Amino acid sequence: MFADVSYRTGALVKHNLILRLRDPGQLISYMVTPMVLMLLLKPLYTKAVSDTRSGGVVQAVTGQMVMFSVFSMAIVGNSIFIEREWRTWDRLRASRAGRGELLIGKSLPVYAVLVLQQIVLIYYGCLVVGMPAPKSAGLLVLGVAVWGFTLMAMGSALATVVRSRGDLMMASDVGSIAVSALGGALLPVALMPGWARDIAPISPGYWGLRMIQAAVYGQTGQTLRAALICVAIGLVTGAIAAYRLARGWGRSRLA
Amino acid sequence: MLQAIDLTKRYDDVQALNGFSLEASAGEIVGLVGHNGAGKTTFVEMVSGLLKPDSGQILVDGRTPVKARDRIGVSPQHIALYRSITVREHLRLYGKLAGLRAAALRSHIDDLAAELRLTPFLDRPAGLLSGGQQRRAQAATALIHSPGLLLLDEPTAGADPETRQALLEAVKRRAGEGAAVVYTTHYLNELSELQATIAVAAQGRIVARGTSAELLEGLPGEVLVGAADGDLRVTTTDVTSTLLELLGTVRGPIESIELRTPNLDDLYRSLAVSDVR
Repeated sequence: MFADVSYRTGALVKHNLILRLRDPGQLISYMVTPMVLMLLLKPLYTKAVSDTRSGGVVQAVTGQMVMFSVFSMAIVGNSIFIEREWRTWDRLRASRAGRGELLIGKSLPVYAVLVLQQIVLIYYGCLVVGMPAPKSAGLLVLGVAVWGFTLMAMGSALATVVRSRGDLMMASDVGSIAVSALGGALLPVALMPGWARDIAPISPGYWGLRMIQAAVYGQTGQTLRAALICVAIGLVTGAIAAYRLARGWGRSRLA
Repeated sequence: MLQAIDLTKRYDDVQALNGFSLEASAGEIVGLVGHNGAGKTTFVEMVSGLLKPDSGQILVDGRTPVKARDRIGVSPQHIALYRSITVREHLRLYGKLAGLRAAALRSHIDDLAAELRLTPFLDRPAGLLSGGQQRRAQAATALIHSPGLLLLDEPTAGADPETRQALLEAVKRRAGEGAAVVYTTHYLNELSELQATIAVAAQGRIVARGTSAELLEGLPGEVLVGAADGDLRVTTTDVTSTLLELLGTVRGPIESIELRTPNLDDLYRSLAVSDVR
């Protein structure tokens, strides 16, 4: 029984990995662009954020990393949306694979992509941009793992509720800019206008950035607190996505 | 093999199934026909385990559809293929999901590709296949694990003659090997070729069942004689005698003769079945 489940789940993971590898454009774009922006924005942030040890460079690296990882929700959304558009999800649901197997098979490759993106950008930030090495590798791993989960859940939920590819693109673009900018990824929260500072905590990006920055500085308490909030956001949005995916779309039509 | 008893299903204000009952035994091909909206696809989705009936019961080999998925092969009405994935990768995926292991899977893929004339396209992404090739590839995903119950929802819709022929032969072969087949279509001639028993669905239930000959027996056809002094059109149950009579009445030169045997539309009319859409 367990061997059969593992076999089918493995087949689904491999299948979804192939799908991701055949469409690498978005991932490349969301890795290369922040790399360039980190270098360009580093002098600006170094001048703007002078009150902390190496705050400028940490802001340049983690801000861009969080911003473009939020953009990567589009990769998650796209991976689910094509199943609706190509009517393949219901075909899979009619196979012997159970709901859990389908969800794991769909999620794991996308989650791996999100984690890979963050790890590459942090390495790049340390090696090329000059960010100091994170004080605790464990906290950073936790932060990256939790943030990847949150993004995956949010992106999945988004893809299950939109009515068209245009809606998905619009929601990902506008949502990503809003979530990351309001969260302090573009402009440090301390430099934002008062009204924006007040509402910043409603943005998942705010908690994602706080978690990653606290992890870089080795601040266990702050990392865990932000991680808890990110996990909560991920659980709520993930539950919405899982419910919708388990039911499929049946006769519903895309716009 | 398949027993569906008194199924009902309602979508908002539409009663999609309303006491729908159908059985298919091993080796039998059941041609499910009916106008759009008659409940055919809803029924197929229920037997696939994608939809739950509001009431009624479906048993496949004595089990619920979800528990019997290893015995069911489905080819949906719409093409459901990944555009960037090759035919071989599709077959590998659905074969593995059905539990086939490496050696058996390879041999099934090769045999099936040859049977459905897909061998030259095995390593081509589905998005680059023609419509007919996609239809065959989709049917192959349903056949890969040699299911005991085949659900084919309009498998030849828009297909070219080569595709139609390949699919019909494959379906006949599976039925010959003991599979029960539910085959929805709008083409009566396909069901005659498959020697299928026909079930006519209308307004969410089966309103007639029998062979093509039984169902069409006694229904009127049409005789049309085009002559220089005007066309003669007669609806009749005895086409031959009527034609001879008409030929005797025509005085000028005859330009054309057209005989139309009864078809699905005549059957629907005789059953007072109307298109609900």
